[in-house]
Formats: sequence, C-alpha cells, structure tokens
Amino acid sequence: MTERVVIVGGGVAGVSTAASLRSGGFEGEVTLVDLGEFPYDRPPLSKDFLAGAKDIKQIALQQSQWYDDQRIRLINRTAVTALRPREAAVELADGHLLPADRVVLATGGGAARPPVPGIDSERVHVLRTADDADRLRPSLVPGARLLVVGAGLIGAEVASTAVRLGCRVDLVDPVAVPLAGALGPELGAWLHGLHAAHGVTTVQASVESFEERRTGIEATLTTSAAPRLYDAVVLGVGMVPCTELAQAAGLEVDRGIVVDERRTTSHPAVLAVGDPARVRRGGVLQPRTEHWEAARHDGARAAATLLGTAPPEETVSWFWTDRHARHVEAVGHMDAATHTVVRGSFDGPSCAVFGLRDGLVVAAASVDDPSAVRAARRMIDRRLPVDAARLADTSVKPRDLLRG
Amino acid sequence: MSNGIRVASLDDIPQGEGIAVDKAITGTSDNIALLRDTDDSVYALDDTCTHETASLADGWVEDGFVECPLHSSKFCLKSGEVQGLPATRNACPHRVEVRDGEVYLFPGETP
Repeated sequence: MTERVVIVGGGVAGVSTAASLRSGGFEGEVTLVDLGEFPYDRPPLSKDFLAGAKDIKQIALQQSQWYDDQRIRLINRTAVTALRPREAAVELADGHLLPADRVVLATGGGAARPPVPGIDSERVHVLRTADDADRLRPSLVPGARLLVVGAGLIGAEVASTAVRLGCRVDLVDPVAVPLAGALGPELGAWLHGLHAAHGVTTVQASVESFEERRTGIEATLTTSAAPRLYDAVVLGVGMVPCTELAQAAGLEVDRGIVVDERRTTSHPAVLAVGDPARVRRGGVLQPRTEHWEAARHDGARAAATLLGTAPPEETVSWFWTDRHARHVEAVGHMDAATHTVVRGSFDGPSCAVFGLRDGLVVAAASVDDPSAVRAARRMIDRRLPVDAARLADTSVKPRDLLRG
Repeated sequence: MSNGIRVASLDDIPQGEGIAVDKAITGTSDNIALLRDTDDSVYALDDTCTHETASLADGWVEDGFVECPLHSSKFCLKSGEVQGLPATRNACPHRVEVRDGEVYLFPGETP
C-alpha cells in the first residue's frame, strides 16, 4: 500500500491528482508542492485575470479550507529540486528531504522564447503564470501599442482582451490560418478574421528582431514593412515542457516525460501528468496534449494507478477558448477528417463544423454552440454512425443527433 | 405545506435538456434550472453555474448529471454536488414534483 504521495506542481493536473486520490479513498499522506502562493486556474490568465476583472483569489483552483478538509498538505512557494526515488524522497530547494513513496510530476511547462535578437527585453512578455499576467497588465492601457506574436489560443485571447481594454493591437503569425488543424480551415479562417472585425490588425509574418528604443521596443517583421514601435510585446508561441526533474533523475524524456497509458514514467515510483507528460501507446509516442481538460483527466488517471483501481474511460481531447466575446469549443482532431459538414452559418449567432472520416465523426468545433461539440464528443467516444444531412440540419437539436 | 408553483408542463422540457425559470417567479436569488434527465426524471438546481456565469439550463443533461455549457463542470442532478473542476462549489438543489404531466417547483425546499 502506498503511504506517502508527493505531487510536484499545483496546476490543474496536480490538484486533480490530489482530489482524485481522496475521492478514490486514498488514506495515506498527500503532499502538494507548488511554486505559487496557492494553486490557481490558468485559463483566466489571458482573460478576466489579465483584464483585472478577477483577482488571484477568485481564480484559486480550490479554497484554502478544501486542502484541510481533504487532508492535503500544501507546501507553497517551494521548488522541488531533485527526485530521490531510491531514498523514497524528493529534495526541496532548502535541501530538506520530503518522504515520498510515490511521486507525481505535474510540473507543467514554461513559455517558449525563440532565439530572436532582442527577445530578452523587459518589454517582451510571456503568459504562463499569474506573475506573468501581473507584469503585463500595467502595459495594457488605452492607446498602448501592443504586439502579440502567435495567433494560437493564448495569443488570440490576449489580443482580444487587450483590444477590449483599448490597446492598439497588432497580431502576427506566420501561418495564414492559425488553429486550422484543430478547427478546420473554414472555421479557422473565419475566427482569425474576427480579430480584424474587432480592431486587431493581423499580419502574416514572423518577428526577425526586437530592438529597445527610448520610447518602446521596435519589432522588425519578415514583411517588407518598416519596423514598428510598441510599448509591449506578448509571445504566444508555444510551451516548453518542464522535464528537468525527470531528466536529472534519469527517467526517459523525449520532448516530454515519457509515460505509459497509466501515467507511470520509466521509474515505477514516479508518475507524470498534464502538459509535460508524453504517452507511449502501443509502442508509439503520442504528441503531448496541452489542454486544461486533458490535464484534469490525467490527474484522475494517475490517481487510479496509485490506488490500483480501474482507469477512467478514455475520451477524445476537448478544449475551449474565448475571444471577442465568442465561446469556441473543439473536440478531436480536425486534420484527421476527410470532409467537413457545416451546421449553421459562420456569420449567424452560432455555428459548428463536424469533421468526418469513414462515416464517423472524428472532430468538431463550434462557436457559441457548445452542445454541438458535446454531442460530437459522444459520437466520437461511442463511435456512433452519423448521417451528414442531419448534422447539417439546424432544426435537429444537438441532443437529438445522438438519438439516430 | 405548499403545493409548489406550477412552472411548466413536462413536455416543455426536452429530454436531456433544461429550461430556466425566472427568479421573479421562483422568488429565489437566482433563476432555477429545470433539468429533465435521460430517464425523464425532472430535477431543479440554481441556474447559474457556480464557476462562471453560464446557465445550467443550457447544459447537457445525461445519466444523473448536468454538464455546464461553458467549461463542462458537472453537477449531480439530485444533490447539486459538483463532480470536479473547474467549479468547486455545489449547485443548490430545489424540490420538484411532476403530477399529471405538470411540473411543480418548491423553491428553497431540499429535495
């Protein structure tokens, strides 16, 4: 029987692991070691928290009482500096050894900073933590000139928040249709076009260099346009998984901490969950899934492994994102579809796209029509055969699409 | 003992979905979502998700739970108990009775 579990990292994967251990009946010690004051939720960092509409307490993943009620020991503002599985312990930054029969690495990731000249300027921001958002917020004042690099999820959300706060926002991405792989080219193009409709200037380009000026930071793009001056820059160009602890402990790492389907690493006493975990399934390394819900499910899966209980059912990956007051959801892998069916009109109040392959739904994306994606998710998980004409028929409610 | 407020016919609520009853009718601080499960049982919970502002009446109702339309927080239809993140607080349940195809709501009464 496992007695002492130490979870490294208080993101949604770490907190979900702790919660799932207790709800699964785990009676041993659960310790969560986190760098922050307390675990908080990250999706609001680019939205309400960045805008100042919510403070850090309002985005706490759990209230402080919860840790007491669940008998979860929270060691805050502390880094784990080494894993010592042979000694059944982890080492903390102050050199103290914390007993750990099993360790769950929920270390998350850091924001990528590509090797672009001048990128280390204080005016160039990233957005992974509440501290990052706190540093960026004072720059987002009316009239401020902001450059957002990368039009994926975080970049698009920051651009949306900033333009609403009155900033003059340029959004650059080298790809013509960002997120096309997740949303499909049609919906991806339409959503990217929303930026311009809301006053964001989109430019298809990369950044060649940054240079500090007295009154701002100058960015030179890969277009022929003259360099432009900005008050601040935000990079949203992907994340780098935090694998250092795993690597130093000699665990298998390959652009992520390699785990089996039960989230056990190459060391049987160490598990990994969330953003940095990379699953090997059927001998094949899968891409990492860098989404909020996947991290939550990972925590439940790791807890089941520690408890020796049946793992939760597999479900296809799902995410949401919000931009310009539109709620976007997507499920599955649109790039696996051979054709798409559009439900509703992109310019209507809501719409959805289903991606099909061999008569089955493999992906879906929606704007302000979450039920369509929730229906699609069940079609994918249950491998339900579908009728394309019914998918497109808005008089058939999403709930009824499952009833055949 | 009150007979409750007749708020809808069962047929007004599609199976697996919900409708919101305005707080002006219920006299409660929040609107109340009437949620019809896949087995046709009807339940009532405070309509606003305890996480962010979304109407649970617009959620996905299935097998004893409602899933919030914004971030998929799940709540038990009977007890309102939250099943996992991102919501952390339970939804307040209210007693409901279905008599002769009519739905009667007892706002503030524990089911």
